[in-house]
Amino acid sequence: MNCLLCEQRLASIPSWKSLLAVEKTSLICENCSKSFERVDIKEEGDVIDQITSIYTYNGAMREYLHQYKFLQDVALAGVFANELRSELARKDAIVVPIPMHPQKKIERTFAHVEEMLASARIPFKDLLIKTNTEVMGEKTREERLSMRNLFAIKPGSTIHNTTYILVDDIYTTGTTLRHAASVLKEAGAKRVEAITLIRAEK
Amino acid sequence: MTKPFNPAIRDFLDGRIWLRMHTPFTSEEIDALIDAGHIQIIKGIESKPSFLNQKRHLCNRCENEDSSRFTTFHCAKCEGPCTYCRQCLKMGRVSSCTELIVWNGEKPQYPTNHTIAWQGTLTPYQQKASDELTDSQNKRVSHLIYAVCGSGKTEILFPPIHKLLTEGKRVCIAAPRVDVILELEPRLRSAFPNTKIEAVYGGSKPTMEASQLVLATTHQLYRFLHAFDAVFVDEADAFPYKADATLQKAVKKAVKPGSPVHYVTATPSDKLLSEMKKTGVVSIINRRYHGHPLPIPKFIPLWNYEKQIRKGKLPRKLIDWTKQRLANKEPFLIFFHHIGLMEEAEPLFQLIDPRIRSVHAAHPDRKEHVQALRNKELPGLLTTTILERGITIPNVQVAVIGAEQQIFDKGALIQIGGRVGRSADYPTGDFILFHNGITYAMDEAKTEIDKLNKGGVRT
Ligand SMILES: [Zn+2]
Ligand SMILES: [Zn+2]
Ligand SMILES: [Zn+2]
Repeated sequence: MNCLLCEQRLASIPSWKSLLAVEKTSLICENCSKSFERVDIKEEGDVIDQITSIYTYNGAMREYLHQYKFLQDVALAGVFANELRSELARKDAIVVPIPMHPQKKIERTFAHVEEMLASARIPFKDLLIKTNTEVMGEKTREERLSMRNLFAIKPGSTIHNTTYILVDDIYTTGTTLRHAASVLKEAGAKRVEAITLIRAEK
Repeated sequence: MTKPFNPAIRDFLDGRIWLRMHTPFTSEEIDALIDAGHIQIIKGIESKPSFLNQKRHLCNRCENEDSSRFTTFHCAKCEGPCTYCRQCLKMGRVSSCTELIVWNGEKPQYPTNHTIAWQGTLTPYQQKASDELTDSQNKRVSHLIYAVCGSGKTEILFPPIHKLLTEGKRVCIAAPRVDVILELEPRLRSAFPNTKIEAVYGGSKPTMEASQLVLATTHQLYRFLHAFDAVFVDEADAFPYKADATLQKAVKKAVKPGSPVHYVTATPSDKLLSEMKKTGVVSIINRRYHGHPLPIPKFIPLWNYEKQIRKGKLPRKLIDWTKQRLANKEPFLIFFHHIGLMEEAEPLFQLIDPRIRSVHAAHPDRKEHVQALRNKELPGLLTTTILERGITIPNVQVAVIGAEQQIFDKGALIQIGGRVGRSADYPTGDFILFHNGITYAMDEAKTEIDKLNKGGVRT
């Protein structure tokens, strides 16, 4: 097999972890792995009780996201499967991906966060729906903050008095995650945490 | 009577196979031409059942059939399993629910009036090869020009290309590397000033006119279909073309059925050479245009160079060689097998002269640095094999660090040596192979250069 990012042949020696199916065999080579930079931020807050980000938004990560989301290379969904799993699998909580607007999902042909979770074999629940199509980046900070909530609870779902973990690909201003967290809390969630693959500079 | 249509659409699409959703025209215009039968729709991916519920896929754009280069996922658009091709992904994804379009209407007419403005004359060797190539084209037979580095192989193509253009034919020069295309473009524009020429490479903007002479990276030929009356593949032995079957297929589908593909190279693979002897015609030039011999490589041991560089120490012999070039004011290229090692060596070289820079395939300033070396603003460059071919710098001196590395096969070493002594004013120069042990490839390269200089060729 070749590295999904640079097409170099991958060394075919499986690790003991992959043999025991503890870890998925890596889809990328060591060089490409090294080009991503860990940031490992953990912050406490009130709307979101705890937020964790795994990587910085460096050049390699920008390229990865471009190929995955813009060039629609679904095969890349599993590149960070092990990293996401070690953050998520051990927690006793309900994992909720940040949803895409249905129209946008059809255009992209897949929901990028859900695909990442699915290929990491992390069970998740689709509890939120997007109520608004406008793109965040086109708004000023004031406009974004004054907007009514971007999300609603999916009709027919019940929110329990337990912990929920929101998952998104990238954390920029945190607005998206705060909106999603407040909807969950208003509906009765006890605690809402969040995990993003990437932390971008504000 | 057919309805009039925007001729720019025909000129753009003729000979191309394109994503329906990504043309530079409105979807209404495209839809109308599909309804009128001028544009034909082709399914993006063809999937056929195979054994054990596996499916065999074919990408109709790049003709990739390698199952490891396809990914199947649940598609939100076509609401089912959908397969896409990763081979040609960067040109816009082609999946099962993607439609490709080709021009199926009346063909554009290409002009027959072309000037050739090139002022030089061909040497008798070049002239002979050029005539033989024209003859093969007339017979629609494939032709190989096997010409040593610095024999002026591009000029050999001018007369046959001119002839094709004046017959209203469409011609393509393809090369595996974008550097070669970028070097060819200005030369062909000045040789054929009245001809519509388009250079196509990753990131180039498509022109909306019917370009009669197309210069393209072999990659870009994924997006052409039955377009040309002849394709000339320059540097046919270069990566990635020589190792990538889909690129070889792309070249073959870019010519019109029955039209020939010609090859030009200084270092043909044994496979190409024997294939062309069987099914085509081969012209050989073992003289540089200025008549001087090819530089012979000099082997100099540089034991444990990698360890020393990684420890932040440049071997003495390298420092001395570099200082000598600086003192003589001779431009130089130093080849590395690995980017990481090169980047560790760069600051060490900059202690000798702070203007020394390094380049590699993805380097943002690659074009600028090479230009600066030409303009003598930089004394020398460290480079990966990316500059092994297609680059001409008068009086350039060349060294390879780690000539024993696998990436430096016989062809690569001959090409690297081919950078030296190209101009008539400076027909000689250093071609040093610093090594940690002599390989077969190094010996073979030296033997072949010796043989070529004695007037022999590989048969
Ligand atoms: Zn890689
Ligand atoms: Zn393809
Ligand atoms: Zn689909």
